[in-house]
Amino acid sequence: MHAYQDNFFARGPSPLARLTFFALIAIGVMVADHRFQALPFVRLGVSAVITPIEQTLLFPGTVARRAGEYLSNQSRLIDENARLKAEVLELAAASQQSKLVRAEQTYLGALAGADKRFGDRGIVAEIIRDARNPFARKVIIDKGLSQGLTAGLAVIDGKGVVGQVTAVGILSSEVTLTTEKDQAVPVMVVRNGLRAIAVGTGREGTIDVPFIPVGADVQVGDALVTSGIDGTYPAGLSVGLVTIVDKNPAFPFARISANPAAGTDQYRFVRVLTQQELHDYPRPDVKADEKRPAREAGSAARRRDSRGGR
Amino acid sequence: MDLSPISHEPMRPPAPFRLLAGSIFGALILNLLPWSGALLRAHPDFVLLVLLYWSVNQPRSIGQGWGFMLGLVMDVADSVLLGQHALVYVVSIYLAQLLRLRILQLSLLEQALHIGAILILAQAIVVLLNLSLGREFPGVLLALSPVLAAVLWPPMDLVATLPRFRRAPTHTTVMR
Repeated sequence: MHAYQDNFFARGPSPLARLTFFALIAIGVMVADHRFQALPFVRLGVSAVITPIEQTLLFPGTVARRAGEYLSNQSRLIDENARLKAEVLELAAASQQSKLVRAEQTYLGALAGADKRFGDRGIVAEIIRDARNPFARKVIIDKGLSQGLTAGLAVIDGKGVVGQVTAVGILSSEVTLTTEKDQAVPVMVVRNGLRAIAVGTGREGTIDVPFIPVGADVQVGDALVTSGIDGTYPAGLSVGLVTIVDKNPAFPFARISANPAAGTDQYRFVRVLTQQELHDYPRPDVKADEKRPAREAGSAARRRDSRGGR
Repeated sequence: MDLSPISHEPMRPPAPFRLLAGSIFGALILNLLPWSGALLRAHPDFVLLVLLYWSVNQPRSIGQGWGFMLGLVMDVADSVLLGQHALVYVVSIYLAQLLRLRILQLSLLEQALHIGAILILAQAIVVLLNLSLGREFPGVLLALSPVLAAVLWPPMDLVATLPRFRRAPTHTTVMR
């Protein structure tokens, strides 16, 4: 009898009061997360619990794929092996050339007093799944804080720039692709050295190059590589090929679109460039940087830079 | 005067805690599956569906507090803006609490329609929130998610009310 009387009518605050309370907290959390990038500890803590569960859930799929690879037919493997050997030979030649070029560049750089370093240290990571957010173009890789990754590192695959690490968990990280809306990469046109910024559109397979004057020399088929002036992406990584150049004199800027070089949906292994110091650019003011509403494009890079400067 | 009973359904004993916890955990596992491509847009939000089910059928046990906490968990798991799922879950559960007495009068199919309406509203909040943050609209497949979730409502009720999940009615507690 006693147990029933205890809370027969005692219902606590009304549903509307509860709604107001929780909705206000939720909105507060959203503002804290979006405007001030606060509460990273909540993310890290919860992800530490969730990630093992997710890995377990991925296990059956991994086993099935491994088994499929094991049972896949001999001739396909032989073909693949031959193709890979040919690729290794090609890359070996390119790598020896690049060593020569690098030596020359280091020498010239030393002469000119500019120390340009290459991002040649990296960790190979496997893409384990897409981020479950239909509004964003992100993937999750299987390396995290425990392998020394930090937010802001550049990620490449065999063909070019994939994107940038934007959030790290303990055993996994989130990589924002270059095609994510407003994700910016400083680029250079290989043919004439014209500098620009490539910005993701949020759609698959296209990046925009805004703010190029109508009179500028950009043609369909031009290759875009990273210019290296942001301190995030080392110079010379392939970003994309220009596919559309629309120069309408009615507008101050040309409309230029490019195809991303990296196979934005096909790759499985990527390389995270862990080179910390690419350039000795002046560090942004740490205080001012923290107050700025750090968003999407390059914000992680700024954060990494300011962290490196402390 | 007709004194025949208006309902012939047996009274439902309350669901034990292990059924609540088990169903929520199961829904969480389903949500954490590596969804991608079209399924990522169209898959139902199992956690929200289960939360709505219990907040309609067992409002003393599951309410907005649970919605808020599980919402935060889903925010981190899906790496979206922190608080997005939390807000949506809390609002949906509030609406379910508001419509609870009405929903319980209806047949399972009509219940599913009501829940579908709540879920569509929840999805609309998500879309508006993301569009206001300047994201690209990912396609109309998003509208399929609440529909699929509503379709799951009747079978879920049938499973949850299976006698094996419920305690046998204990008369001793009433007589004590």
